[in-house]
Amino acid sequence: MLADVLEQLVHGLTLGSMYAMVAAGLALMLGVARLINFAHGEFFMLGAYAFWYGYRELGLPYPLAGVLAVALMVVWGVVYQRTVIRAILPRSWHVQLIATLATSIVLTNLAIIVFGTQPKEVPTALSSTILDVGGFRLVWQRLLVLAGALAIFWGLHRFVSRTRAGRAMRAMSQNREACAVVGVDVQHVAMITFALSAALAAAAATLVSPLFNIFPDMGTGLTLKAFAAVVTGGFGYVNGAIAASFLIGITEALAGSYLSYAYKDAFAFIIMIGVLLWRPQGLFGRRLGI
Amino acid sequence: MRLVLTLILVVLAALPPLTSAQAPPIKVGFASAMSGPAAITGEGVRWGGTLAVEEINAKGGVAGRKIEAYFADNKATPGEAVSAVRKLADVDKVDVIIGQTHSGACLGAMPVVKEIGVPMVIESCSHADIRKLSGKGGNEWTFRVALDDEIMAHTFARHMAAKGVKTSSILAMNNDFGRGAAAAYDAAFKKANIKLASTEFFDPGQPDYRPVLTRLKRAGAETILGIILASDGAPFMRQFRELGLTQKVYSRGSLASAEFLHQVKDNPKVGDGVVEAGYWVAGLDPEWDRKWEERHKVPPRIHGSLAAITFKHAVVPALEIAIKKGKVDRAGIRAALTEVDVKDSPLGPIKFDANHQAWINMILLEMQDGKIRILEKLPTSPALLN
Repeated sequence: MLADVLEQLVHGLTLGSMYAMVAAGLALMLGVARLINFAHGEFFMLGAYAFWYGYRELGLPYPLAGVLAVALMVVWGVVYQRTVIRAILPRSWHVQLIATLATSIVLTNLAIIVFGTQPKEVPTALSSTILDVGGFRLVWQRLLVLAGALAIFWGLHRFVSRTRAGRAMRAMSQNREACAVVGVDVQHVAMITFALSAALAAAAATLVSPLFNIFPDMGTGLTLKAFAAVVTGGFGYVNGAIAASFLIGITEALAGSYLSYAYKDAFAFIIMIGVLLWRPQGLFGRRLGI
Repeated sequence: MRLVLTLILVVLAALPPLTSAQAPPIKVGFASAMSGPAAITGEGVRWGGTLAVEEINAKGGVAGRKIEAYFADNKATPGEAVSAVRKLADVDKVDVIIGQTHSGACLGAMPVVKEIGVPMVIESCSHADIRKLSGKGGNEWTFRVALDDEIMAHTFARHMAAKGVKTSSILAMNNDFGRGAAAAYDAAFKKANIKLASTEFFDPGQPDYRPVLTRLKRAGAETILGIILASDGAPFMRQFRELGLTQKVYSRGSLASAEFLHQVKDNPKVGDGVVEAGYWVAGLDPEWDRKWEERHKVPPRIHGSLAAITFKHAVVPALEIAIKKGKVDRAGIRAALTEVDVKDSPLGPIKFDANHQAWINMILLEMQDGKIRILEKLPTSPALLN
């Protein structure tokens, strides 16, 4: 029984890591740019295809293919900010919602046209090698996901708290107008935020793709889960979104295993609704800041 | 003015008489999931439909009349299936529809094809209700080539029982196909004295199956019946091996398929031992397989191949009958479909009964050493349900 629960916890942490890396990017965008990017799941999907291309098509070693995917997604983040976001940032939330949703649909359908509908698989040596500790079995890749996620969150924390760009992002998340008044280039900071968020999505894709399938629609559900984590964690508070993601991942794994697998996706939203009823500002919510 | 009219008359008189070769083309619509999580099926249907129509047109068409193919996206949902039928029937003005690949979409489309009055020949939806509602069941406009799960479940359960299976769990997709099949196997297991240990459902496109695999492990059945498609089957089987489960896996869907093997080509043995019940497999028509691979550079897909077979071996013979009778409209094609009697299609005989159901062969497949082999080819008949 204990081994069973432990197994689901590890599984929940893997899922939570994936949600957290995506939700952190979504929370950054919301915190800094005050915008919910409903195409963020598609960033993850594009990152996964970029990784697949580098690893399977170009034959690059796993780490290099991962770096290539992250680099390409940084470029994509900049392009997206310069084209779509710059135009809609000063507009109402309705416009932002429609524009990001439209981007999501366009990207999904472009992926169908470019990559086809056959799911891609990118098994690596780590995803094919099983660690067996007294009957408790898991592939090494799951441990890499956990370690990678921890390293990424540590790096993100250092970036936001120690670098000039990170401090500008924090300042902008507190008061965009004041930042503009004192000479902070608001669009430039937004661009860095989108590049960083896209890089996080690509890093997540690089880590988890060897475990799962890559297909054009893979981002749609993920955006909603990440959004639930962002809301549960406290609307744009990055650490809150990360913590909520792990909560959702572990709840999903345990509920999927002990209650119902068919309805496991509902639990993220049950948690979100429950938290909103209890703490409308989110679990770790505060008024300002990322 | 008189001169112009005279010239027009002279030109018209000089034109050759209207022959069948110049008769308007016959429009065939294909509906499937062209987008969404099941888009792989619709892409296959588009490829298969296009290839089959080109093949017939290259031979001069049907009795000299060219075929035009139209496609519509049902997103594998009942609501979108209604839009797909309306698009094909009202906008493209097709004479006959082939589709809808997914049971939910089929059930959604059936009332609309009846209301509009356009024949629909179903290539692969396997929900048992489709047979019960078609033909004498009330809907004269729907015909089905594919076997349904009630038919297959009874045959498959008997096979499992003959192999000594006493208990089984069911893992099924959480949609009309999966739920319909799970209900059919539940009943068939009872009849075959196989104890159902547990039934689990999953949403297609899941990233991770470990929680449900743990549930299946806990249920302790000696076999698992997976009602699952290749796209979900690949991560499912990898995680099945990861968890170290040893149960025998039986399947319905497309787990034992070329699509599955294409996805797991790094470790094709991951599916070894899986026994699947189906009615199509690559190899039934080698010439078709060759054309498909030449064009698309991937192995032939099940739904695209079924759409092509349905077109070539059910719809084209019906069109020939309709043309012979001079009634090439929707009602004429519907009437002609009831007269189709093809003995040797790659799927077996195609002749629609009073419920507009064709009783094609059922095939048992097994994956071994990363290859698929046919275990048995079983003829089917309504007697199976008794």
